[in-house]
Amino acid sequence: MAAGSEVYILGGYQTDFARNWTKENKHFSALMRESVHGALETCEIAPEEVESAHVGNFAAELYCMQGHLGAFFTETDPAFSGLPTGRHEAACASGSIALLAASAEIEAGRYDLQAVVGIEQMKTVSSDVGGSYLGTAAWYEHEAEGIAAPFPKLFGKLGDEYDKRYGLNDEHLAEISKINYANAKLNPNAQTRTWYMNKEHALTHTDDNPAIGGRVRISDCSQVTDGAVTLFLASREYAEKWARGVGKKLSEIPRIKGWGHNTARLKFADKVAESANDQFVLPHVRSTIASAMKRAGIDGVDGIDGIETHDCFTTSEYMAIDHFGITAPGESWKAVEEGWLEIDGKHPINPSGGLIGAGHPVGATGCRQVLDSYLQVTNQAGAYQVEGAKNFQTLNIGGSGTTSVSFVVGI
Amino acid sequence: MSTPMTAAEMRKILASRKIQRVVVLGANGTMGFGSAALFTTAVPEVTFLARTKEKAEEGLAAAIKQVRSPTVASRATTGDYDNDLVAAVAGADLVFEALTEDMAIKKEIFDKIEAARGDDSIVATVTSGLSINSLCEGRSESFRKNFLGLHFFNPPNVIVGTELIAGNDTDPAIVDFIDAFSQLRLGREMVRTFDTPGFAGNRVGFKLMNECAQLAGERGPLLVDKLVGPYTGRAMTPLATVDLVGWDIHRAIVDNVYANTNDEAHETNKLPDFMAKLMDKGVLGNKAGGGFFKRDGKKRLVLDPSTGDYTPEEEIKLPDLAYIDEVSALHRDGRYKEGMAVFLNAEGEYAKIARGVIAGYIAYAFERVGEVTETIDGIDRIMGLGFNAAPPSVLVDAFGAQGVVDMIGEAGLAVPSALAEAAKTGKPPRFFTHSRINIGRFFVAG
Repeated sequence: MAAGSEVYILGGYQTDFARNWTKENKHFSALMRESVHGALETCEIAPEEVESAHVGNFAAELYCMQGHLGAFFTETDPAFSGLPTGRHEAACASGSIALLAASAEIEAGRYDLQAVVGIEQMKTVSSDVGGSYLGTAAWYEHEAEGIAAPFPKLFGKLGDEYDKRYGLNDEHLAEISKINYANAKLNPNAQTRTWYMNKEHALTHTDDNPAIGGRVRISDCSQVTDGAVTLFLASREYAEKWARGVGKKLSEIPRIKGWGHNTARLKFADKVAESANDQFVLPHVRSTIASAMKRAGIDGVDGIDGIETHDCFTTSEYMAIDHFGITAPGESWKAVEEGWLEIDGKHPINPSGGLIGAGHPVGATGCRQVLDSYLQVTNQAGAYQVEGAKNFQTLNIGGSGTTSVSFVVGI
Repeated sequence: MSTPMTAAEMRKILASRKIQRVVVLGANGTMGFGSAALFTTAVPEVTFLARTKEKAEEGLAAAIKQVRSPTVASRATTGDYDNDLVAAVAGADLVFEALTEDMAIKKEIFDKIEAARGDDSIVATVTSGLSINSLCEGRSESFRKNFLGLHFFNPPNVIVGTELIAGNDTDPAIVDFIDAFSQLRLGREMVRTFDTPGFAGNRVGFKLMNECAQLAGERGPLLVDKLVGPYTGRAMTPLATVDLVGWDIHRAIVDNVYANTNDEAHETNKLPDFMAKLMDKGVLGNKAGGGFFKRDGKKRLVLDPSTGDYTPEEEIKLPDLAYIDEVSALHRDGRYKEGMAVFLNAEGEYAKIARGVIAGYIAYAFERVGEVTETIDGIDRIMGLGFNAAPPSVLVDAFGAQGVVDMIGEAGLAVPSALAEAAKTGKPPRFFTHSRINIGRFFVAG
C-alpha cells in the first residue's frame, strides 16, 4: 500500500433501471444487496477482500424513510460487519462524490480495495411529491417551495439563458432527446428501452408531450428511477494481484486518469449573474471538465473517445456540448446538426442513453456514468459500444449546475 | 446457429441494405398493430393492411393508443388486401405477416405476397409456433431464401425478447441482417431457435402453464397460482397468464406442441378436458369476461373447473402455506438464494407439488437443448426476456445443482445429464453468466 497510488477500476454492476422495486415489493436493502453481490460476482471478488465502502445517495430519508446508508452496506454480506463505511450526499452528484472520496483514500494509501455504491429508490412516492423532494437540491425556500416541478423550470431557464446569449432552436433539443432514447434501446439496463420515441414525438406539443418547465417538455426530461450501481476501485498493488487472478494484464485494467470537482453558488440566478461576462454559461462546470482532462494529461476533447454526461434535461446536455469544447461556446447546435453525438459520430455523447434514456436514480447516476465508461474502454458495452474507445469522460451535476464532478476513465 | 455479433459488425451489416417500407398484414390483430407500431420507431413508412380498410384503420388507432404517440400516424398508411396489397407489397423492403395462427389462412396470403413481392424483399412471419419450413413449402427459391420467422412476444412494444427462426433455405445473410436490424433499430433481444413446434419460448413456457392448468383441475386455480406464484420466479402467476393470453391462444399453442412432438413430458402438454368443455361454453379468459379468474367489481372470483361455477376468492379456504410467506420475506430483502433454500426444504405436500412443477420446468428446458436452441442460453434468455420468468439456469444457480437434482428426483423425473454432471463435479459453478441481466427481478416478493 503506497501513498500516491493510481486508482484502478476493477468493474461493477448496475441494476436494471427499468425495474420498479416497490412493485416487486422489495425493500431498499434488496436494491443495495443486489448491486453489491452482482459486482462481487461479476468482478470475481470475495467479500472478505473489501476493505472499506462509500455509499452515494441523495434522499433516502425522504423517499424511503431510511438514513444511515453506510451502515446498510454491512447488511449486504456477513463478511462486511465491522468495515469502515460512510454515506455521501451532493444531490444528483452524490455518486461521484462517493467515488471521489474512495479514490482519494486509495491515493492516500489508506486502503487497497474499496466498494462504491450509488443508490436511489424514487418510485415510492407520487411524481408531485418526488418533484418537491428533488427541489431540496436547489435552495428550497427560494427556488422550490410551493413550485410544481421546480427542476424542469430551472433547466428551462438554462435554455432561456442560451437563447438570450446565443439563440436556441428547440429542434436541437428534440434531436438530443431522440438520440438518447435511441441509444437507450441498445442498453439492456436502460429504463426507457421499450418506450416510444422519435424526433416527431419529441417535437409534439400535445397532451402526449406537455411542457412542464417553460420550454422543457416531458420528452426533454430525465426519468424518475429506482437503481443502484456498485463499483470496485483498487490501488495499483491490489489491481496487479487481482488482474493476475482473473487472467488479465494490468495494462488492460482501466484507471481513473483524471478528476475535476467544483461547487458553484446554489441559486441558478446567482450562477447566471456571475457568468454574465463569461463565454461559458456555467464556468464552474467548464472548469470541472477542463481540470479532469488536464489531470489525465489529455489536451482537449479530441483526446476523449466518448462522453457520459448529465442530461437531466436536454438543455443540460446542450450546455455540456460547448462546455466540453466540442464546439465554440454557444454553438452546441453544430454538433447536433453534424451528427457528432451519435454512437458512431465524432464525439459520441451518452451511448448508454444517459439520464433521459437510461434513467436517473439520483444518487446512482455518477457511478452509472463511470461504470458505463469502464464498459466502453474495456469493449464490454455490447450494442452501444463505441468502437475502439480508450478514454471516456463523465460529467455529473448536482442541483442547477451547482456541484460538478467529472472523471476521465481510460486504459 | 447463432453467432454473437459485435456492435461494429451489426452496424456494417445494417448498412448493407435499407428498410424504408414495411407492410404489416393482419394489422388489426394484437400482434399486427403492436408490431406495426414498433416498426414505426425505425421505419419511415409502415403500411397497415387488413381485410378491409376500416379494419386497418382500427389497427392504426390501436397502435397509436398502445404506444401513446400520435406520431405513429405520420409514418403509417392503411389499406385492404383486395385493393392495396399488390402495390404495397411490391414496394416493400419487409413484408410482415401477422394473420391468425392457421396454416391455410397464412398460405393463402403468401400466394398473394409471392405474386406481388420484389425479388429481394424480406418476408417475415410472426407465427408463435407453426413450422417455418411448412409455411414456405412449395414457394419459389427467392421466397424461401428471403423468408423467416420473427416472433415478437405480446405486447411487442414492451417485451424485448424475440425469437428468430430460419427455414432450411433461408439465406444466412438475411438472418444476420434481420438480427442486426432488430437489435440496433428495434431494441430487441434476439434468440435464434430451431424450427420446432412452439420454438423455444412457447414450448418451454406453455408447458409449465398447461401443467398448472391440469393441476387446477384437481386442486383448484387459486391454490395452484399460490403454489407456483411470484416467489418461484415469475412476475405473473401461471393461470392468470393463461387468462391474459386467452384460452384459445393457449389451446392453439399446446395442441400444436402436443400433436407434433413426442417428448418425455408429452402428457403435460395435453389441454385439460375441463378447459375444452368450458371453451365450448364461451370461456376464453380475460378478453371474454373471465377464465380461471373473473372480476366482479372489486371482488375476484375463482373458477371451479368441475362445474364451471365461480366462487369469491375470500370464501375459498387455503391450506397452511406459511413457507411461501417466509420465502417472500427473504426475497423482499434481496436474499433470493436463502429464499429458494427455504422453498427447497419446505415440508408438506403443497411445497412438494410446487417443487414438482418447478423441477419439471427446469428438467424440460435442459432436455430441450439441441432440439429447440443450440444451448441452454437461448432458452434462458427467452424465458427471462420473453416470459418475464426466471430462466432455468437462474433457478439452478439459486437452488444449487444438487438441490435441483434432488427436486427432479423427488418429482420422479429423469435428471438431465448437464445437471447431473454439475451436481457431481461442481462445474460450471454458475449456469447463468449474463452480468447485464439482473436475476433479482425474477424473484418477486409475493
